[in-house]
Amino acid sequence: MDVIANQLFAGLSMASILLMIALGLAIIYGAMGVINLAHGEFVMLGAYAAWALQTYVGIGILLALPFVFISVAVVGWIVEKVVVQNLYHRPLDTILATWGIGIILQQTVRLGVGAESRFVKGPDILTGNTEIGPLIMSNYRLFVIVFSIAVLAATWMLMTRTEFGMKLRAVIQNRGISECYGIEAKRIYSITFAYGAGLAGIAGALITPLFSTIPTMGTGLVVDAFLVVIVGGLGSLIGSAAASVLIGEATAIFSIVINDTLGRIAVLAGIILLIRFRPRGLFPTETRR
Amino acid sequence: MLSKFQYDLVALVIFALVVAFGVPAVMNYDGFELNTFARYLALAIVSMALALSWGTAGLLNLGQAATFGMGSYAMAMHLKLRASDGLPDFMGWNNVETLPWMWVPFESLAFTLLAGLLVPAFIGGLIAIFMFRARVAGVFVAIITLAFLVAFQLLFINQQGLTGGQNGLTGLAQMSLFGWSVDTYSMGFYYLVAGCLVVAMAIGVYLTHCKFGLILRAIREDADRARFFGYNVASYQTLIFCISAALAGWAGMLYTMVLEFASPTYMGVSFSLAIVIWCAVGGRESVIAAAFGAIVVNMLEGRLSDVFVEGWHLILGVIFVLVVMFMPRGIYGLLSDGVQKLRGPGRSQDQRDGETLPNL
Repeated sequence: MDVIANQLFAGLSMASILLMIALGLAIIYGAMGVINLAHGEFVMLGAYAAWALQTYVGIGILLALPFVFISVAVVGWIVEKVVVQNLYHRPLDTILATWGIGIILQQTVRLGVGAESRFVKGPDILTGNTEIGPLIMSNYRLFVIVFSIAVLAATWMLMTRTEFGMKLRAVIQNRGISECYGIEAKRIYSITFAYGAGLAGIAGALITPLFSTIPTMGTGLVVDAFLVVIVGGLGSLIGSAAASVLIGEATAIFSIVINDTLGRIAVLAGIILLIRFRPRGLFPTETRR
Repeated sequence: MLSKFQYDLVALVIFALVVAFGVPAVMNYDGFELNTFARYLALAIVSMALALSWGTAGLLNLGQAATFGMGSYAMAMHLKLRASDGLPDFMGWNNVETLPWMWVPFESLAFTLLAGLLVPAFIGGLIAIFMFRARVAGVFVAIITLAFLVAFQLLFINQQGLTGGQNGLTGLAQMSLFGWSVDTYSMGFYYLVAGCLVVAMAIGVYLTHCKFGLILRAIREDADRARFFGYNVASYQTLIFCISAALAGWAGMLYTMVLEFASPTYMGVSFSLAIVIWCAVGGRESVIAAAFGAIVVNMLEGRLSDVFVEGWHLILGVIFVLVVMFMPRGIYGLLSDGVQKLRGPGRSQDQRDGETLPNL
């Protein structure tokens, strides 16, 4: 019983990380239909930004978050302006172009910072564990869970309660008509892409104490995050949240029932089945395409 | 005025002549250089196989590396068995006592060659039936094949006793074909690989130009319309997926022979996307261009990594982004646009109608 409870917590912790990464991806994919394979590299950039801020400037992860968000968002904004904007009418080609961008970012970091693993210290106030009976929860992981829920809520507010969100939803529904009403779709897309990239950056900064920070860390994460988005349903925030919990918990449970690798394979097989039978995801949003 | 089919035949003959006579002459008949070039030629086959499913039928298969890996492991298993008497060495390290049943038939060369083609075709066919019966299309094909690739590679590495795990299969014997012991640094081996490539390309050219290829292009342009004409879209898609997988398996077998080992990185996401890059650079609409793209990118990679030991990957990324943005139809697109210009504006319009890019 103890094992199961602890494993459920591990699954939840993994789900919160997946959610943070997948949220940015979900917004970009949902809004523009762009499959951003460079998203993992945005996560990696965020991790390195957190490392650089801690090592050279001396500010901890929590204080660094706003700076990380802004710097990675700027990178995302540039990528959107220079490359992605020209490819909106060719969605399959965005897979290829963003993969190329991913290679460029990864190699730039490798050349600039080096390939060796970097260490980032977690915040001091969040060391230690919270114990409820047999259940032992790391404070930092608890914080990441709470933080990811907060980010989800903030994004939801942004999408539904602000003027920007309304414009974005209008552009998603019908770009041509929205432009007739004076909404600058191009600008909305740029900002959305930058916001998605910034979220990836925050995710990267937050996972630095849990993962080793290396230039290739993003490649594995992006596949997982992407599966979350697909399972959750096109552009649905709630769907992404549900899917990340589902995938995180399924991976955690399978990994004690069978073993880690086979567990992951089982989850992937489940995802393939799901896409086959529900190609629009668990929570499809009603949009006119 | 030549038709597109005649153009392709001319290009194929020129390609075959260059590979057969030009390249060995330029390489000075040097065994090491020829072995390197044979590696590019083997990779050209898998790039060409992707052009069949992606360029012709519009199905972006991000799992091409999985079928490539199956072929390469089939060959590696055969060569490993020949190198070891009884049990391969790595099985001993993993406490495997007897030869697993999966390995037993690979003692026979004929079975190995067949398995290298048919196992990928069969697995590819299963995935294809599974996807295309449900009319999965566009981006979702890419996602399912990518997820399959990741799962397959994990499974392969996990079964260490059967597959050698992360280390792959090393210490392979030399291939012997009908009593001819194949030296991978010889002219004979180079011509074996080159011959395979030319035959594979001839098959590809034929497939794209026969009626089957025409229907595939119709499906690429508008699957529903092809369906309304009464074609069974799913079975056409499944068939081209099988053929593409078999060709990839063939390429994998040759690749193992060239490098003399098999590694699970052959089934990695990076390798799979690299295949897509080669195909895109060459031009996915033409099998010859896709094969050419693989050779060009790999040669460039070889040269660049000599000059810029650190930065060549970066340069490759930049080139690729530029190709996707400004040459969406690859080198082939540039060439065919050039030909259109030479022909003058009058004829080109109705010619172009048939070959616009699919709006996926």
